[in-house]
Amino acid sequence: MKSQILVGLTTAALLSACANTGTYSSTQSVDIQFAAAINGQSFACGQSYANVGTTKSTITPSDFRMYVSQVKLVRKDGTAVPVSLTQDGVWQYQNVALIDFENGEGPCRNGTTPTNTSVRGSVPTGEYTGVELTVGVPFALNHQDPTVAPSPLNSTAMFWNWQGGYKFIKFDTASNGLSEQKPAAPNAMGPVTRYSMHLGSTMCASASRTQAPSACQNPNTLTVRLDKFDVQRGQVVVDMGSVLAQANVDVNAAGTSPGCMSFPKDGDCPPVMQALGLAYDGVAATGSQRLIKAR
Amino acid sequence: MRLRLKRGLLTLTAALLGLPLLTGFALDRFDWNLPAWVPIPLVPLDNPMTNAKVELGRHLFYDTRLSADKSMSCASCHQPDKAFTDGLSVSEGITGERGARSAMSLANVAYLPVLTWANPQLTSLEVQALIPLFGEHPVEMGMAGKEKDLFARLQAESVYRRLFARAFPEEARRGLDALYSLGTVTKAIASFQRSLLSFDSPYDRYKYGGQKHALSVAALRGEALFFGEKMECYHCHGSFNFTDNIQHSKLPLAERGFHNTGLYNRDGRGAYPANNPGIAEFTGDPNDEGKFRTPSLRNVALTGPYMHDGSIPTLDQVIRAHYAQAGRAAQGPNGPSPMRSSLIAGFEVTDQEVADLVAFLNSLTDEAFIRNPKHANPWTPSKRN
Repeated sequence: MKSQILVGLTTAALLSACANTGTYSSTQSVDIQFAAAINGQSFACGQSYANVGTTKSTITPSDFRMYVSQVKLVRKDGTAVPVSLTQDGVWQYQNVALIDFENGEGPCRNGTTPTNTSVRGSVPTGEYTGVELTVGVPFALNHQDPTVAPSPLNSTAMFWNWQGGYKFIKFDTASNGLSEQKPAAPNAMGPVTRYSMHLGSTMCASASRTQAPSACQNPNTLTVRLDKFDVQRGQVVVDMGSVLAQANVDVNAAGTSPGCMSFPKDGDCPPVMQALGLAYDGVAATGSQRLIKAR
Repeated sequence: MRLRLKRGLLTLTAALLGLPLLTGFALDRFDWNLPAWVPIPLVPLDNPMTNAKVELGRHLFYDTRLSADKSMSCASCHQPDKAFTDGLSVSEGITGERGARSAMSLANVAYLPVLTWANPQLTSLEVQALIPLFGEHPVEMGMAGKEKDLFARLQAESVYRRLFARAFPEEARRGLDALYSLGTVTKAIASFQRSLLSFDSPYDRYKYGGQKHALSVAALRGEALFFGEKMECYHCHGSFNFTDNIQHSKLPLAERGFHNTGLYNRDGRGAYPANNPGIAEFTGDPNDEGKFRTPSLRNVALTGPYMHDGSIPTLDQVIRAHYAQAGRAAQGPNGPSPMRSSLIAGFEVTDQEVADLVAFLNSLTDEAFIRNPKHANPWTPSKRN
């Protein structure tokens, strides 16, 4: 009896193996590489970066993670073809991937040791010359219960709040204007030593703090298309220095979250949201986003 | 090719079937008995859960023979009715020496990737158990250098003969030295600790059990405050275990969280008392001054006094005199700590809001957990406790 089952299983395994290798494969695997930078310099935990923001401050980041979703490759004729993400149980779930540049070392101690700097999946075989992606989590996945969600949507670090969903970008840093040696940064409740850029959906009204909303007034998702991208050798470069170029990372607007955490009416946010190409407090962005470019 | 594969599968199947029989695990499958929404904890590969180990661990946990003068057991500082804390600001060892920190709750300790308040290197319950047993700075149970005495004491107890043999059949075959060892003692205690699971609070019943009326109206208002951007509580006390330190079977990447809440600012630059500097003591990084691991808030109504050094007696004061002030140090001579987490920004709070937040925190108390007979002292009063 047992050996009959085994024979059956073995045969099935061999048959399916034949099916996989024997037929013509109409898909190709893709591995889209990401790289983090501050003003063009490679990001690494423990490194400091000069000339950031309007005060030319020096910053020492402590976290840099982001969700990307709806990744597509773009054909020469401009049609965008969705990448079917490998469901790896760790970094990728449905059409969302967590890109994690921090390695849990030094100032990034509250992070995780493994990093993830690529999006992996497959597309129909073809010639692709560009890439499109959305920074953020799709609405349908963004407002589920994160305490019981599958990885990578169960990271407490990336969980933001029940109405807003996840932090689409989590970038935390110390700056030399906010150091313990210069604890003079104006803040109603005294100085802090950290500046944060957290992007997420806002004004998502719901019945209670722990119930999902039906819509968000400011989704704050950011869709980027890089028309010239070498799928094999190219890198999607995510540069936070460009986003902070017009921000003052040495101060925090009184009575607001440290840095810009996307909430309405935060004086620290307009230059940051501008650089992300996102409308803020009813003011449309004048230019396109400066966070992501192809290399 | 096909034949060879089949033979390989047969061998593999035989090995898989034989392994549990050889080790005895097949006869003793531990049932976590968790609600469906709760993920199973991760357990070290070399210490799988068994009922026999949990039962042995429970006896060891409550046994005062584990301390040098037989005055203290693990339960002396981890009492079930206080959610396995001791009600003291800092714990005292057998010599009366006071430690620097408050005994932490053991509820859901199986979900922690890193243990204690301030040692980022301490990641296993098996290793952690050695510290109260054998530590000398401070002396807790005072067994340093006395492990042979410990094993002799355990061997002299008839109850343990059966419990050790059932929990560690493989070691039992190798002889008494293998059976009564630091390895078996710490594995059993760790297994018992992993069985201390608390998921039946009124909040669990409301949030996950579909019981809409399990929370009072005040607690519901408190929930909104807890998860709101004014108080920012949930940023560190997130996850189903109300801490940002978590690992489990559905979370491939363990999360750790150490934060400075601005409790002290001794020198204007954020210094904490020298005997209690936080994880900087281990990392040597001055930026880690005052950073402690976020404790779980489950059963928090029972675990006071609060903070790593037990320096705040009530939850009401934790909210009013600490977090609302952007850290307690803000009210001191040196002002708010520049080293505190940027989320510690202070807030204005009304009496009503404090009462509501405390009502929410009280809803995290799990009465069934603290009364669970499976967690209770197994020794009769005439024997050890």
